[in-house]
Amino acid sequence: MEGVNQDSQDNDPYRQKVRMLAGREIPFDGEGFFWDPHQWSEEAAEVLAKEGGLTELSETQWMILRFLREYYFQNGRAPLNRQIKQGTGISLMEMEALFPGGIKYGARRLAGLPNPKTCS
Amino acid sequence: MRKVTFRINGSSHQFIVDTDRVLLDLLRKDLRLTGAKQSCDRKGQCGACTVIVNGKAVRSCLTKVANLDGAEVITVEGLGTPQNPHLIQEAYVLSGAIQCGFCTPGMIMATKALLDENPNPSVDDIKKALRRNLCRCTGYKKIIEAVQLAGRFLRGELTPDQVRPDPSQGLIGVSYPRPSAMIKACGVAEFTADIHVAGAAELAAVHSPHAHALIKAIDTSAAEKMPGVIGVMTAKDIKGTNRLKFIVPDRPILCDTKVRYIGDPVAAILAETREEAVAATQAVKVEYEPLHAMMTPEEALAEGALQIDPERPNLCYSQPQIRGDAEAALAQSAAVVETDLSTQTVHQAALEPEACVAYMEEGDDGDLPTLVVIGRSINIHFHMGMLQDGVGYENIRYEEAYSGGQFGIKLEITSEGLAAAAALHFKRPVRYIPGLTESMWLTSKRHAFDMKVRIGADAQGKLTAYAIDFTANGGAYYSNSNVIVNRALLMLSGSYYIPAIKATARLAYTNSVWTSAARGAGPPQANYALECAVDMLAEKMGIDPLEFRLRNSLKTGLPKSTGRTAEQWPFPELMEVIRPPYDRACKEAKGFNRKGDVIKRGVGLGTGAFGIGGPGDTANVAVELDPDGGLTVFAAMADPGEGNDSMLTQIAAHLMELPMDKIRLVTRTTERTTATGPAAGSRITYMVGGAMVDAINQLKAAMAGVNARTHEQLCAAGKPARYMGTKKNEEVGPLDPQTGQGPSFESQVHAVQLAEVEVNTRTGEVRVIKMTTAVDAGRVINPKNLEGQLEGGMDMGVGFALREKYIDGQTKDWVSFKFPTIDHSFEMETIIRETPRIKGPLGATGVGEMTLVPTAPAVMNAIANACGARVRHLPATPDKVLAALAEVKR
Repeated sequence: MEGVNQDSQDNDPYRQKVRMLAGREIPFDGEGFFWDPHQWSEEAAEVLAKEGGLTELSETQWMILRFLREYYFQNGRAPLNRQIKQGTGISLMEMEALFPGGIKYGARRLAGLPNPKTCS
Repeated sequence: MRKVTFRINGSSHQFIVDTDRVLLDLLRKDLRLTGAKQSCDRKGQCGACTVIVNGKAVRSCLTKVANLDGAEVITVEGLGTPQNPHLIQEAYVLSGAIQCGFCTPGMIMATKALLDENPNPSVDDIKKALRRNLCRCTGYKKIIEAVQLAGRFLRGELTPDQVRPDPSQGLIGVSYPRPSAMIKACGVAEFTADIHVAGAAELAAVHSPHAHALIKAIDTSAAEKMPGVIGVMTAKDIKGTNRLKFIVPDRPILCDTKVRYIGDPVAAILAETREEAVAATQAVKVEYEPLHAMMTPEEALAEGALQIDPERPNLCYSQPQIRGDAEAALAQSAAVVETDLSTQTVHQAALEPEACVAYMEEGDDGDLPTLVVIGRSINIHFHMGMLQDGVGYENIRYEEAYSGGQFGIKLEITSEGLAAAAALHFKRPVRYIPGLTESMWLTSKRHAFDMKVRIGADAQGKLTAYAIDFTANGGAYYSNSNVIVNRALLMLSGSYYIPAIKATARLAYTNSVWTSAARGAGPPQANYALECAVDMLAEKMGIDPLEFRLRNSLKTGLPKSTGRTAEQWPFPELMEVIRPPYDRACKEAKGFNRKGDVIKRGVGLGTGAFGIGGPGDTANVAVELDPDGGLTVFAAMADPGEGNDSMLTQIAAHLMELPMDKIRLVTRTTERTTATGPAAGSRITYMVGGAMVDAINQLKAAMAGVNARTHEQLCAAGKPARYMGTKKNEEVGPLDPQTGQGPSFESQVHAVQLAEVEVNTRTGEVRVIKMTTAVDAGRVINPKNLEGQLEGGMDMGVGFALREKYIDGQTKDWVSFKFPTIDHSFEMETIIRETPRIKGPLGATGVGEMTLVPTAPAVMNAIANACGARVRHLPATPDKVLAALAEVKR
C-alpha cells in the first residue's frame, strides 16, 4: 500500500518474525524478544550475544541469564532490577554494563524472556 | 462561612464551612466517607454521589452543606457493612446488579429512599426514582430486579437465605455473588480516587484548545506564583522518553513541540489542593501556532495534506484481505447490494474518572525507592513497562485499584503518565483525579469507520462475494490501532461462509481525538456494515432475513475470511432458538402496523461470531497450595466489572473441591502476579481461566503422584506447592501483508440479536421496545454474570446505534455525550445455549464484547423494517431517520 510506513508494522510487538538461529527456526516478536521462552537455548543466546557485540558470555553473564529465566518460570514475569540485584548480588551499574542494551533490552532478550505483552 | 450542625449516619457533627461547600466534598474529603462517588464534575448528571437527606435521595454534589443545619444525612456507609449488610445491599448482590460497582452506592441510596416511601414500587416507579443514576455496565435490567427483590425482602416475603445459591448445586453454572460484590455494595471498595495518600498534592493539567498547532512557547511564571502551587511541569521536566509507547512511540506524556488534538496535555500543575491546581492551569500561557486541522481521514489522506506525525505518513497502516475472485463473483451474482455506511467516534464512558495516585516508597538496604502507581489499568505489567520508559524510572510497582468500568478505555495508559512523572519530578506524593471533561480529553475513543461495501448472492440466496473498503479514523496517536483494524479483518465474514472476499483496510492519523480499544474493538464497526448489507440483500432477493442468514452460515471445514476453518460453529442452532421470538415479534409488528399510526413497529436481526484467543495469545497463571489447604491464584487479571473474580474462584473451587472462601486471588499488583495480558479482547475466561486450569491440573497431578492430600504431605514429599500454568494459541503470526490470509482466533462466541423498535415517522424518534439475544459462549460458569454482560452490552449497543457520539471540542460531559439513562432502558431477554468449547476451560469461552457486536445492525435493520428508512450513518438520530424517510418517499 502506497504511503504505509512499514516501520509501524515491523516494530509491532504482536507481529511475529521467524528467523533461523543456532540451526532452528525461532519466532521473535517485532521488538526482538523471543515469542516463546521455551524456544530459547544456550546456543541461541550465544548467537544473539555475538550479534549484540559480545564475543562470548562470561560466567557472570550466564549467571544473570539463568537467574532471569528461573525467576520468569517461577513468577510468570520478568524480575525488576532490584530483584535481579537481590538474586544475583551484582550491582545494577555492573549489570547494565555487562549487556549491550542494558538489563531490560539486553539481558532479558538474551535470556529468552518474552515481552510482557499480549493482546488478542 | 456558616456554622451548621447535622447528623450523618446517626452521629451529630458540627461544621463551619464555606457557603459554597457541597456535601459530596465534605463527605469524601473531610470525613473520608468515600462511598459516594464523583463522576460528572459535580453537575448532578450521574447520581453516583446520591445520599439521603431528610428521607429524600439527593445528589450530594449539588447539596450545599450550609443548608443542612438540623438535617439527617444517611450515606451508604450508614446503611450496612459487609459483615452486617442492609437488605437492599443483599438484594443488589444477589441480583447480580453489581458489576464495576462505581454507581452502586448511589443506586442503593436512591433505592432506599424509594422503598422507604413505597415498599412495593412498579417498574415505572423504579425508573422514576433512579432516573438520575447512571450505570454503564448493567443496562439497568438487573438494577430494576434488585430493587424489586429488595422490596420483597423488606416486605418480609422472602429472605436473602432463600435466594442465596445453595452449595449443593455445585460450583459451575451457578450464580454465586461475585467475591467483590458486597464491599462494592457497602461503598468500601476503594477506587483510585478513594485512596488516601498522606501528604499528597493534587495535579491538574493544561490541555490544548487546538486540534493541531505548534507549541512556540510555554510561560509558567504566573502559574508558579498562584496560591498553593508547588510547581509546574512541562515536557522538559520528564526524564524518560516522554512517550507512552503501546506499539509506536508517538504519544507524549506532555507535548513538547506540537499538539495533535483538542485536549492534548501540554503542562501539569501540582498544588496543595485540586482547586488550586485547576485555578493555576488558567495562568499557564501557551503560545501556539495553529496548523490546519484534519479531523477526518478524507482530509488527512487528501493529496498534499500536512503530515501529522513526524515519522509516519497520515496513512499509517493498511492491510488488504483477498480470498478468491470477488470481482468476478460479484459480476456473476444474481443480486448485488452496494452501499456505504459509517460509524462514529464514541467515548467508552466508564463512569469513573481517569484517576491515578503515585508516590515514592522508600527502599530497603539502600535500594532505590519504588515509584508506586495506583490506578485504573487492566494490563498492569505492560503499563508498568510503558511507564518505565516514558518517565525514565525502572523501579516501579503498579497496583490496580477497584476500577469503575472499562469497555476498552483502560487498555491504554492515561493519567498514570502524568502522575508518575510528577511524583518523580516534584518528589511529592501525587493525586491526579481529573474531572469528567479532562478525563474525556485524556482518553482514547472508539474508531469511526467509513465503509463502502458490495455484497452478492446467487439465485439460491447463497452469498457469493463480499467487498469492503474501510478507513478507520485513528485520531492523533497510533496506540494499538493496527490491532483494531486487523481484528475487523480477522472477523470480517462474521457468522457466514463467503467464498470470495476483497477488502482493503486503512488507518489514518487525523487531528481528531486519539483512538484505541472500545468494547469489541473493530468488529462492532465492520460487522455493522456486513449485517446491514446482508439484510439489504435478503430484502432485495425477497428472502426472509432469518432464512437468509441461516442459509449462509459457516460450517466446520469451510473457511472464514482469513482462510482458517473453525472447529466448532454452533450458529445455525442459535438461529433456530431465536426463531420463535422472531416469529412472535414479526406477527406483533404486523398487527401493530395495521393501525396505520405515525408510529411504525419493526423487527431486525443482527448476528456475529466473535473471536477469542487471538494469534499468539498467551496467558500465564500461578497457583499455590496454601498450608491450610486453600489455594492462592496469582495472575495480573484485572476485574473492572466483568466478574473475572467469580470465574477464577468458581473454577478453582470446583477443580480443587474446595469451598469458595478457600480460594484467594492475588491479581492487583505487579509485585506478586504473573504477567498474563490485558483484561481485554474477551480473553480472560478463555485464556486466563485456561491457564489456571493448566496450573491446577499440574498441582493435582503432583499431589496424586506422591499420594498427598495436604500441603504438608506435598512438601514433605519434596514437591513444590506452586505451579505455573499456561494457555496459548499455538497459531501465531500476522495476516499475510498481500492477502490478509493467516492465523485466526482459537475460539468463537456466537450471538444473534433480535431488535424490536418503534419509529415515530413524524419526529424520527426511535424507541427500542425489546432486545432478545441468543448466545452460545460455551459452558456457563456464572449465569447472572453472563446475563449481566449481555444486558450491559445491548444497552451500550443501542446507545451506539441511536445516540452516542464524541465530538471534538463539544462533548464534555454525560449529557452532551447522551449517556443512556434508565429512562432509555428497554425489555431484554437472553437465551443461552451451551456448546462446550473443545479448548476452553471446562468448555467455556468469553462473552463480554460479543454482546455489543450485533446490536447496532439489529436496530438499524429493525428501523428499516419498520418504515423502510435505511439509516446508514450512525448514530440514527431523529434527523437522520427523517432524512432516510424522505429518501424513501422520493
